[in-house]
Amino acid sequence: MYPAKFKGKWLPLAFLSPTLLILVVFLYYPVIQTFVLSTYRVAFLGLRKHFIGLGNFIELAQDPAYYHTVLVTVIITTAIVVVGMGISLAIALLANQPIKGAPIYHILLIWPYALSPAVAGVIFLFLFSPHFGTVNYLMSSLTGKELNWLGDPTLAILLIIMASIWKNLGYNVVFYIAGLQNINTEILEAASIDGAGPWRKFWSVTFALISPMTFFLLITNITYSFFDIFGMVDIVTKGGPLDATNVMIYNLYRDGFEYYRSGMAAAQSIILFVAVVGLTLVQFRTSGRHVHYGG
Amino acid sequence: MKSTRKLFILAVVMVIALMVVAACASKTTTKTNPAQQKVVTKIVEVTRIVEAAPKENVPKGATVVNFWHAFGGGRKLLIQRMVDDYNYTHAGTYVHVENKGSYRDTLNAAILAAQQGNPPHLVQIFEVGSQLALDSGIFVPFSDVAKPSEYHPDDLIGGVANYYKFNGKFYSMPWNSSNPILYYNKDIFRKAGLDPEKPPQTFEDMLNVCDKIVSSGAAKNCISWPLHGWFFEQWMANMGAELANNGNGRDARATEVNLTSDAAKTIVKWWKEMYDKGYYAYSGKLEDWDGSDAIFVSGQAAMEITSTSDVTNRQRDAKENGFELGTSYLPYPASSVRQGVVVGGASIWLTKGHPQKEMDAAKNFVIWFTNIENAIRWHKATGYFPIRKNSVTVLKEEDWFTRNPAYKAAFDQLLETKPTKATQGAVIGAFPQVRTIVEQAIEKVLAGKASVDDALAAAKQQADKAISDYNKSVK
Repeated sequence: MYPAKFKGKWLPLAFLSPTLLILVVFLYYPVIQTFVLSTYRVAFLGLRKHFIGLGNFIELAQDPAYYHTVLVTVIITTAIVVVGMGISLAIALLANQPIKGAPIYHILLIWPYALSPAVAGVIFLFLFSPHFGTVNYLMSSLTGKELNWLGDPTLAILLIIMASIWKNLGYNVVFYIAGLQNINTEILEAASIDGAGPWRKFWSVTFALISPMTFFLLITNITYSFFDIFGMVDIVTKGGPLDATNVMIYNLYRDGFEYYRSGMAAAQSIILFVAVVGLTLVQFRTSGRHVHYGG
Repeated sequence: MKSTRKLFILAVVMVIALMVVAACASKTTTKTNPAQQKVVTKIVEVTRIVEAAPKENVPKGATVVNFWHAFGGGRKLLIQRMVDDYNYTHAGTYVHVENKGSYRDTLNAAILAAQQGNPPHLVQIFEVGSQLALDSGIFVPFSDVAKPSEYHPDDLIGGVANYYKFNGKFYSMPWNSSNPILYYNKDIFRKAGLDPEKPPQTFEDMLNVCDKIVSSGAAKNCISWPLHGWFFEQWMANMGAELANNGNGRDARATEVNLTSDAAKTIVKWWKEMYDKGYYAYSGKLEDWDGSDAIFVSGQAAMEITSTSDVTNRQRDAKENGFELGTSYLPYPASSVRQGVVVGGASIWLTKGHPQKEMDAAKNFVIWFTNIENAIRWHKATGYFPIRKNSVTVLKEEDWFTRNPAYKAAFDQLLETKPTKATQGAVIGAFPQVRTIVEQAIEKVLAGKASVDDALAAAKQQADKAISDYNKSVK
């Protein structure tokens, strides 16, 4: 494998220019604009602006309600990442067994991922609506008790976590199955011959060999819980009850599009941006070292 | 190896950046707006919006008028039919009508379009967006464009015309107007041994009636309405209490909300008592119109308070579910005198900066669209008020209210409303945010996390700050 060589700098740049153009127009320019906007107090989506420097950030730093949204985000993200990936790995291990009709199981497992967050949200709403949902109907006919899934803060957080994990399960499972299928069975055989038990084989061989996948999923799951959870929250709980599910991305949306505080929303998206980039870099520094790329 | 990892880092960072941008730009198309639709219809609509891109044949040389509104479903189709009628009968003008999502989405879209120098001529704006629309500076008062002899303001029913008058000018043409009424299931009333022709009138009556309904087992809960700030605002008006200072924001820009007034406390205390006794039920989510509809229609609750624009829907629901529907006035505390209600809904605003020819065409369309016949057509198909006195006369001639008694309560309630600053409705810049603050305060009280006084005091502080932030932003 030889890398292609070009004479001079201009030809490669010319080839890259369409991509760069798209990136600049749709990515870098909006990001820079967001940074700029975060230093203004904005009325009506930019119709009127006052420069206030770090004013928006200072206000956020002094706002206990904002700390609450950060806390909620951290709780939900941790739960989605840890529980969601754990379940996904378990399912992937089961689905990867040599059984009849395995492809059918694979397809069935990927299914939820194909739904849009809005549709998934409506499904969960139908299931868990306190007054006419299927779950409460079954619960009251079996046990005579009903739970206020949308009105109780703890249950609402649980519901959002559950729905988000379910929604992203297919994605995680697909990657894990792919990872598992790439493991050379000879290594596992060798481990068996060396007398390793099933747990030892899983932990020292399988888990180690799929660590790049785990690492990749860790990052995508964090971004998922930070950003893509929006649709679910908007449809199922609208950030309630009592702001219990008001995650950072939803708070940002409300400020930006419902309360017409674009500057404040921009400042919040910068905070989100920094948080996720920071987390990702930390992961590369720490867990990245333990990742075994097998090459 | 090292460079691959660097590339990978770069790729991840870029994906994240893209997501931030995408997240900022994302909006949901399924937001509930006061024109309540069932969740399922919404999804169908969304698909329909995506699918439907009908070809338009704009006649050569016609003046094009763009008109943006926030209605979906059957109402959207009705508007399209009305506009088609106009285009067919008015050569030289072509009205292009578009649905822009929810009320908020429509206002956002109009402001963004104005920023880019290409605003639509006509925009439907919801009543709480009035101050925003005024401050945005992209609109022109309707009375500056049209002569009274053209649009006959005297013919508009009082409450409706009042709301859209600011600084003595008539800013926008009322279009879809509604307010809350009480809907009730007469069969459940009979089952509970109550007179089905005597729905509760006051807060106190309501508690008594609810006691009978729930204790007799006629229904699981007594009543439902969405946990929405709109109802709180209506009750304030009904008691003659102004929501904001400076004459409800009409004498001068509002700087404070009167959330710690006795009226506010009376409302929230009653709300809490109704909830604690298991009489009041809501879905657990804020502003969930569909949830309350479902609780009432399924027979879990004997009554529902919701918008008059739902009369047509509720009549159909009652027929489908086999119960007899009754309607009555919004209840009020016995300690006060019923003042009436604030007109909710939306109006049509004209943007400025178009050539005279287009302004005239837009004005003429609005006048036609809200004339006597069209107000009747709109009322019959949706349940929103006919906004003209003459329309009401025609409807009475036709015995419309006798044949459709459910509409009568809605109508009488509005006609009996006393025109005060309170029933004129508040004008507050940060209204959308103030609403959420009020809703969260009530939520806190219902959940038992704060006393009525504490929750309202905290809400007042938050709301006042939101208003002062807003006022600073438009200076």
